[in-house]
Amino acid sequence: MADLQSRLDEFKKAFESGAPPYNATQEAIETMHRATAELEASGLANKALRVGDRAPQFRLFNQDHVEVDSADLLRQGPVVVSFFRGHW
Amino acid sequence: MELEALQRIYSEVKDLGAQIVVLTPELERYTRALHEKLNLTFDILTDLHLKIAEQFRLLYVLPDYLRELYTSVGNALDRFDDEPEFRLPMPGRYVIDKHGIIRAAAVSADYTIRPEPSDTLNVLRALKTKARQVA
Repeated sequence: MADLQSRLDEFKKAFESGAPPYNATQEAIETMHRATAELEASGLANKALRVGDRAPQFRLFNQDHVEVDSADLLRQGPVVVSFFRGHW
Repeated sequence: MELEALQRIYSEVKDLGAQIVVLTPELERYTRALHEKLNLTFDILTDLHLKIAEQFRLLYVLPDYLRELYTSVGNALDRFDDEPEFRLPMPGRYVIDKHGIIRAAAVSADYTIRPEPSDTLNVLRALKTKARQVA
């Protein structure tokens, strides 16, 4: 199994080729590149919480509408928290 | 792809005494469908209106031109996330120790770049070793 980043890179290459099934236009690809470049240039990622900071607590609903409390999770051990944009 | 990759390491994560949760602005009807489709065994939590992403300082607003592009290809964040302002989290993966302190942080402004799950496992292994030394 290839590592995650090389699989992502492969997908990106396929997408940016403009070929099916994605059929991305050159214009759309350039628009996405522009947005990423601007976000990078803004330095926003450097302002995110970092190692040594206290993590915010949360109580959120899972996919089955059960409320999950981060304090309950942490009582059992370390927690990996991954932020995900969406299914699209 | 990242969710599947996290699923593949999840049994090892649990063996290390840790857990995984994924936070997304998407509404529950979408997280439920995705959870089923990918056969995930960890939770996807709906971070409604990105309140927690904001506290982690991962929140950004999509520029108008990108919003137009997304809308034109049927990617409706106003519907998926109830986000009329089209805000999103930057991709980030954190490891939080049992005291609530962040022990690893990987944040990227480029959404096509994600940290390797193996790096996350290494952090958890180091935390476990350290916990043993203290005990």
